[in-house]
Amino acid sequence: MKKQLSVILLLAAAVLLYLAPAYSQEDMTQLLDPAFTTHQRPAAVFNHDGHNEKAEIEDCSVCHHVYEGERKVMDDSSEGTPCSECHAVDAEEGTPLRMAYHRMCTDCHTAKGKGPVTCGECHVDK
Amino acid sequence: MNAAYEFVVGPLAWIAGAIFVLGSIYRLVSMYALAVKKDYSSLPYMDLKYSLRSIIHWLNPFGTAGWKASPWTAAVTFIFHICLIITPLFLLGHAVLLETFHGIEWPTISDGLADGLTMLVIAGCIFFIIRRATVDKLKYITSGMDWFVIFLVLATFLTGFAAYHQWLNYQFILILHILAGEAMLASIPFTRLSHMIFWVFIRGYMGSEFGKVRHAKDW
Ligand code: HEC
Ligand code: HEC
Ligand code: HEC
Ligand code: HEC
Repeated sequence: MKKQLSVILLLAAAVLLYLAPAYSQEDMTQLLDPAFTTHQRPAAVFNHDGHNEKAEIEDCSVCHHVYEGERKVMDDSSEGTPCSECHAVDAEEGTPLRMAYHRMCTDCHTAKGKGPVTCGECHVDK
Repeated sequence: MNAAYEFVVGPLAWIAGAIFVLGSIYRLVSMYALAVKKDYSSLPYMDLKYSLRSIIHWLNPFGTAGWKASPWTAAVTFIFHICLIITPLFLLGHAVLLETFHGIEWPTISDGLADGLTMLVIAGCIFFIIRRATVDKLKYITSGMDWFVIFLVLATFLTGFAAYHQWLNYQFILILHILAGEAMLASIPFTRLSHMIFWVFIRGYMGSEFGKVRHAKDW
């Protein structure tokens, strides 16, 4: 019985591992960045493609930006590179990860007068 | 809802903070002026050593006859005030706002701990409400103002608790919470809550009077 269970679990793990690389932004419905070692709040709702369609954002570099020094490079983008690669959780210089997410997401929502701005609208308790 | 939220976390928060700071300064300065006018002779008797001696005794829940006479009230009073100050000051939600709006890094306690401390504040409010409503000695000196500040504190922590747990209409409760908190902050200088800024001076005055003039203990 115990042996059977572990075989099933191993198989399940193998299937998950096989599927993982196939996961892309199209399937993304929430953000739970593994760069945070502990998560104090529930995952933030973010339906990647649905969001950008509804918000009418066509330019990927609005979020997946590239910087040269202090200045944003207009005609380059960094999709595929996680935010955490350039924004460390406890970065001493520049924008640390939590601030990076919050500023990127809420600054635009505030400017547009649309989209969530309060904690619980993004970090929805399940 | 976004516009209402942005107004209460933005301009209104600045206004409440300004009323708290400027109001506190105004109350301290005018209280000092009143002391100079009405009770000038007692000012030279203010003494740092005797002031501190009294303050330190009263900061110890076992340090005064007054506290020892009502140990339950003393226990609740201390726990209540510690939780009341620690929770909002080191709350993750407040720190994230500070970080997002102003880039300020601020130490935090865990949400789980904050939840527990919040329940202690709420329990403390209920204790004080029951005490004021039932103890004859207290009923006699209780005014509308006392009820106002207790219910304001209770409202702030109840709505904060409900907002964190996303109960009822989340955004509405959150806005109520922020409004209640700002009302509390702004009313500190002008209500019973002014004991937050005056207690040190009141204790210091009593300590000096008893220690230096009467050569007696005030604890
Ligand atoms: C509103 C902001 C936003 C826009 C616009 C946006 N993305 Fe993303 N995207 C994100 C965030 C946030 C992540 C998660 C990043 C992370 O995990 O570090 C992400 C992740 C990705 C990933 C990685 C998926 C994975 O599984 O890790 C890809 C690929 C991607 N985006 C492609 C795109 C493309 C292509 C566009 C333009 C058509 C685009 N994005 C526009 C916010 C955005
Ligand atoms: C290739 C590196 C790189 C990636 C990937 C990246 N950033 Fe940045 N980002 C930078 C640099 C460099 C700056 C400018 C210095 C700073 O503020 O840290 C910056 C600045 C920012 C700022 C501050 C902008 C301002 O106006 O103050 C925010 C917010 C931000 N990034 C959010 C994000 C988010 C969210 C992601 C993931 C979707 C992301 N960044 C991905 C490099 C990157
Ligand atoms: C460049 C602007 C912009 C950025 C950056 C942006 N958003 Fe949005 N977002 C919008 C707009 C506009 C809407 C409103 C869409 C509508 O309802 O018409 C929206 C709506 C949403 C919604 C409501 C549900 C939905 O999908 O429509 C969520 C959740 C959301 N955003 C999350 C995020 C998160 C998380 C981030 C950061 C990773 C982010 N947004 C970054 C513009 C932006
Ligand atoms: C517009 C959406 C949005 C809003 C509003 C928002 N957040 Fe976030 N938050 C995010 C995203 C996206 C991340 C990064 C993904 C993740 O959760 O790991 C994040 C990360 C975090 C993290 C670090 C990860 C963790 O779970 O410990 C904390 C803490 C946090 N948010 C707290 C808050 C608080 C408190 C508020 C309200 C003051 C708030 N957030 C408002 C979208 C949002």
